[in-house]
Amino acid sequence: MTREILLGDEAVARGALDAGISAAYAYPGTPSTEIFQTIQAYVKQHQLDVRGLWSTNEKVALEEAIGVSYCGKRALVAMKHVGLNVAADPFMNVAVSGAWGGLVLAVADDPSMHSSQNEQDSRYFADFAQVPCLEPADQQQAYEMTREAFELSEKLRVPVLVRLVTRLAHSRALVGLSERRPQNETHYVDDPGLFTLIPSNARRAYAKLVDKQAGLQRYAEENAGNVLALRGEGKPGIIVCGVAWNYLREALGEAVDGFNLLRVGVYPLPVKKARALLDHSSELTIVEEGYPFIERFVSALGLFREKPVKGKLTGHVPRTGELSPDAIRRTFGLPVAPSLEVDRLESLLAPRPPRLCDGCPHGDSYRLINEVVQELAKDTRVMGDIGCYALGYLKPYQAIHSCVCMGSSIGMAIGAAHAGISPSLCVIGDGTFTHSGMAGLLDAAREDVNVKVFILDNSIVAMTGGQPSSLSDEALVDLVAGLGVKRPHIRVITPLANKKAENLAVVREELAHAGLSVIIARRPCVVYAKEIKQQQRERAAAHHHHAGDCADCTGSCP
Amino acid sequence: MKFDLVLCGVGGQGVLTTAYVLDHAAVDAGLYFKQPEVHGMAQRGGAVSAQLRISDVPVSSDVISDGGASLIISVEPMESLRYLQLLRPDGWIVTDVTPLKNIADYPDLTRLYQTLFSLPHVLAVDASRLAAKAGVMKAPNIVVLGAAASLLPLAVPSLEKHIAALFAAKGERVQTANRKAFRMGRAASRFAAALTERGVPHALMARVVARLDFDETPAPVPVVEAWSERLLKPDGADLAARVLGSHDLVPLDARLPEALA
Ligand SMILES: Cc1ncc(C[n+]2csc(CCOP(=O)(O)OP(=O)(O)O)c2C)c(N)n1
Ligand code: SF4
Repeated sequence: MTREILLGDEAVARGALDAGISAAYAYPGTPSTEIFQTIQAYVKQHQLDVRGLWSTNEKVALEEAIGVSYCGKRALVAMKHVGLNVAADPFMNVAVSGAWGGLVLAVADDPSMHSSQNEQDSRYFADFAQVPCLEPADQQQAYEMTREAFELSEKLRVPVLVRLVTRLAHSRALVGLSERRPQNETHYVDDPGLFTLIPSNARRAYAKLVDKQAGLQRYAEENAGNVLALRGEGKPGIIVCGVAWNYLREALGEAVDGFNLLRVGVYPLPVKKARALLDHSSELTIVEEGYPFIERFVSALGLFREKPVKGKLTGHVPRTGELSPDAIRRTFGLPVAPSLEVDRLESLLAPRPPRLCDGCPHGDSYRLINEVVQELAKDTRVMGDIGCYALGYLKPYQAIHSCVCMGSSIGMAIGAAHAGISPSLCVIGDGTFTHSGMAGLLDAAREDVNVKVFILDNSIVAMTGGQPSSLSDEALVDLVAGLGVKRPHIRVITPLANKKAENLAVVREELAHAGLSVIIARRPCVVYAKEIKQQQRERAAAHHHHAGDCADCTGSCP
Repeated sequence: MKFDLVLCGVGGQGVLTTAYVLDHAAVDAGLYFKQPEVHGMAQRGGAVSAQLRISDVPVSSDVISDGGASLIISVEPMESLRYLQLLRPDGWIVTDVTPLKNIADYPDLTRLYQTLFSLPHVLAVDASRLAAKAGVMKAPNIVVLGAAASLLPLAVPSLEKHIAALFAAKGERVQTANRKAFRMGRAASRFAAALTERGVPHALMARVVARLDFDETPAPVPVVEAWSERLLKPDGADLAARVLGSHDLVPLDARLPEALA
């Protein structure tokens, strides 16, 4: 067995590779990004025959993986928690069809919202889809459970969700690695009805999924990842899961052995074990990272009165944010260690949030937008979106007035226009536009709504570390035109201080047009200039198409 | 044995690089560790931190509890105070004194230093200037690591080995410069310990060490003696304040304390 220092994300990646995946797909998103990054780098370094890509969005990523599974091979899909919302449709349905080759989703939740809009708990999604969820507590388990997830997926013919949280995804430890399993041979689904969910098939498939539940329950009940330790009749009991176990162990130390304990790592919840714990215990405390998922089952939302059940719903464990050893010490009434105290420390600590880099093209775009917005009605709102440019909400720009989920700005701007804001403005990055903004633009174009869409095309997905944009530059112009935006109202500007006067003139012209305009602010991200060049070269090579080959070459084609 | 420490600074200052060196040294020492870190700030100049928990028994929690850290290693003075909640009352802060003012409301530096140098266990070095002198502008993190080395339950040769490995691809010159940067930090901490041993009050020692121009070899004994004698005189505090106020590195010269008097 070799040992390596790995992040939780890296351990998942290596677990998937060692489980013999034939492909991996992902859409970047903190804290999941390093999973596919690791796979990509490892495959390149070791010349493995594993396919995959940064997909255009999470839905496509999962669909690509389903295709691999359909052909009998193993595939991993990685995304952040909110990505699973985007992929929810294929996810809920592949649960019904079932998997063929092992199909595993690694989904990273972000309690405390270090870099997310919410702290949704992916265990609910697994439960909703009626598929197993494995929840590793540490890096070693992240590796082993990912491997196990593939076995389980093939054994019970279901997709399996591996749930990570930020603290595990982005924490390093030494991990023991075992031998790589060979990849599956291609073996297509024998019954085409299996993946053809027309109602007659779907009814059968769904009944089968319901039938599988007993097997899943048995699997969870017998799995070594769910540990029941009964220390004595009438002692207090604890249910703990995932990384919360580490915090509990840290907080209680040896005293944890004085409790009846159920440690959960594999869902569906092992009901028999939970029942045995309840029967043995005077009361129950439930400690989980995320939503009160287990607690809602066990306490029946507080309707269960046989024994006291304490947790997030009862206020004994913090309801929001990440857990910590100290949070759990407080739950159990234990003292917290003193810290070095300094008088009026807060007055010396200025927050240091991330900000737009010096020379960032988005900064110039916002200076431009702020100037024209001044000329518009006082209550003009600019719908924002997710990416580096979301930092435009902060000082000194304060240029956007919303940011809900990826791709939402255009739809929101349409709604705002319908609600009376005219013209209605929005900004969206090239990455976010192709992820899920395009559909909104199609609506805007169909109705020629008076919306001014600024696409901030910096040629890369910068926010998450420089993944390739699905498309930018001239191809983006063609895409926008293809969606139905009239060519004269697709304007390309270069967001630079010395071009501000001409840019202002362009924007003012479009503001005067009472219909849909798309203004593409095109200038590469300054941080990832090298990666952008590299990606452009790779794209050109992939298309067997080289700058200069075409008669009308402008040298700017991707 | 249990040892928790915080590594911090600003995106781009190499906080996670330092963590890498420490992780590998912990493995060399046959110790268990967990090391969480903040991702995604590198380019955009936000606050970055990592934690390292080392132990001779398996580590449970990835994160440090309040009052659990024995040490904070920082590449920026304000950032060195951001995680004080995690520091034990007897814990150490080792930091670069050079402020990185990429925000509009950076606190008043005089007040910041006043607070920093009134802490019971602080070792501040002018890591940015020392790194520049070593020949790598980007190495303040390595200087600070050198300054913290004697406080760590890790072997110095092992730290040096992994620093070398880190820069192996960058060639001999960068490797040598980083080793020098590390050793300058080591020299600073030895000098600090020597002054303390000779009875120089902590607050004075810390202010002086923050501006001295250390070499990669330990300061000679006569220099240590000259500085401690001078600092033990009634106006020692005055001298220390003046050294800290200096706009450049102050030469590590035995005659200087008198000359400054
Ligand atoms: C559904 C979903 N997936 C992924 C993310 C993570 N994420 C945040 S911003 C972003 C990409 C932004 O790219 P782009 O629009 O090109 O803007 P840039 O950062 O380059 O300015 C991603 C992938 C998310 N917030 N939501
Ligand atoms: S990484 Fe690129 S897009 Fe993001 S803030 Fe920096 S320059 Fe702008």
